[in-house]
Amino acid sequence: MNQADVSKLMSQLRIAVRSNKRNLKNPDGPEGRLLKLRKTVTALVKHERIELFYNRADEARGYAELLISNAIRHGDRHKATMELADYWLLEKQLVHKLFKVLVPRYENYNVSYTRMFKAPRDYPGIYYRKSVLELRGNPYPVLTQDNSQNRNLLHNVLLDEARKEFRREKLASLANKLAAETEETPKPTVEKATEV
Amino acid sequence: MNVNARFLTNRIAQQCAYKRIVTFSTKPTEQSAAAAVPQQQQQQQHDAVAPPVRKPIVPAHYRFVYPEFLPDPKVEWRNSIREKLERLDMLNRRRQIELPEFYVGSILAVTSSDPHAAGKTSRFVGICIHRERCGLRARFILRNVIDHQGIEIVYELYDPTIQKVEVLRLEKRLDDSLFYLRDALPEFSTFDEHMEAETLEEGTPVPINELKVVLRPRPWLERWERQNLRGVANIDQYLKDKHRKSSEKVQKPWEKYDLMKQYRATIPEEEQKEIFAEVHTELHTLELQRKRNKRKRTFVKPKHLA
Repeated sequence: MNQADVSKLMSQLRIAVRSNKRNLKNPDGPEGRLLKLRKTVTALVKHERIELFYNRADEARGYAELLISNAIRHGDRHKATMELADYWLLEKQLVHKLFKVLVPRYENYNVSYTRMFKAPRDYPGIYYRKSVLELRGNPYPVLTQDNSQNRNLLHNVLLDEARKEFRREKLASLANKLAAETEETPKPTVEKATEV
Repeated sequence: MNVNARFLTNRIAQQCAYKRIVTFSTKPTEQSAAAAVPQQQQQQQHDAVAPPVRKPIVPAHYRFVYPEFLPDPKVEWRNSIREKLERLDMLNRRRQIELPEFYVGSILAVTSSDPHAAGKTSRFVGICIHRERCGLRARFILRNVIDHQGIEIVYELYDPTIQKVEVLRLEKRLDDSLFYLRDALPEFSTFDEHMEAETLEEGTPVPINELKVVLRPRPWLERWERQNLRGVANIDQYLKDKHRKSSEKVQKPWEKYDLMKQYRATIPEEEQKEIFAEVHTELHTLELQRKRNKRKRTFVKPKHLA
């Protein structure tokens, strides 16, 4: 029963967080682990979508989320946040991207800033699980399947029925029209026929 | 009409660039939800102009004053129902006894029931050198030197045998725990048993006592040189090169950047707000009551001296 640390205030993550960290295999220990994660976070901010091993992606995801949420919370005038950004982003032009591009993009989000997908691994390759990690609102085409055109979805069923009904009504009105036209003109032809 | 609708959706799709459109969805999509937020904010601004919405305002310093109300951040030990029940029990106890605000470095006097003491109660004055644990198990350690003998007593904050907790001097020290007082000269942890309570003016921030203690020579109970203590004056005089080297080796300067480690050690702000919103009104009324009672007590007839 330890007391919670009250000296720091952090905003809640919108992703599922593991109860403990993964020790990514590294000869340099915890510092080397953080260096690995810094590289991943830098790549994520730079490319906005990266493909990598699942464990490393899952570890790096929390750091990226917290970095962005801290940047949103404190802004670029906050010294500690600037130090954090300087540490986590190995390429310094990305610090500008974080505060000028990502912060305005995510300011009003109420979902997580990143997304993670399970990716297939090649067979017979290395057995580690793979994944795709991306920032939300990136310019690439979406990775998820677009199911909005699925025939069995309720709104599509309703739309289909509406279309059918519309067609039926149109046909009925056409038929009525034809019937009305035929009622007006047929008498002379019938008479002629009887004459013949 | 069919053709028309398709044409329309195409037009909208072109306008929205790569945004996905789902016709007829009861749930807002992620992007539309994100886009909807500024509209809500505008609405809130409108609301603020017309009818002011009252919300429970929890002061920001509550997490320092009542840290034991925050649960243990270790996920395996979390249990929302138990935490809630514990909070209720803590409030019940606080209705019975005044548990004042204090910090590590404050000087307290605790009166507790003691079956072996002369009047069945014992009063101990000392400096709080550590606070730990949370919920009903919250406890603190008081230290004093009595008859040239260092004494430390661990009190549980919500222990029913505690009768009275007085804060004689409300202040903080430079470090989060003062275990190094055990290895300091005895005058730094000697406090008068009959000390009078010092009052602080209302609204002043808690003062930080920048006193630096003098350690006695080795052997020590802990390797203080490795702990980056700010409240120790003369640590350098007892260090050899091997101590400096080994303490350099165990430093972890990267830990201040380890965001997830910090996250796992804290309770997130949203959760804190929820917890304190739950107990705030009760705690606040208790505070006000205590203040009123204190004002009544100030009109006591002065003591006849000599």
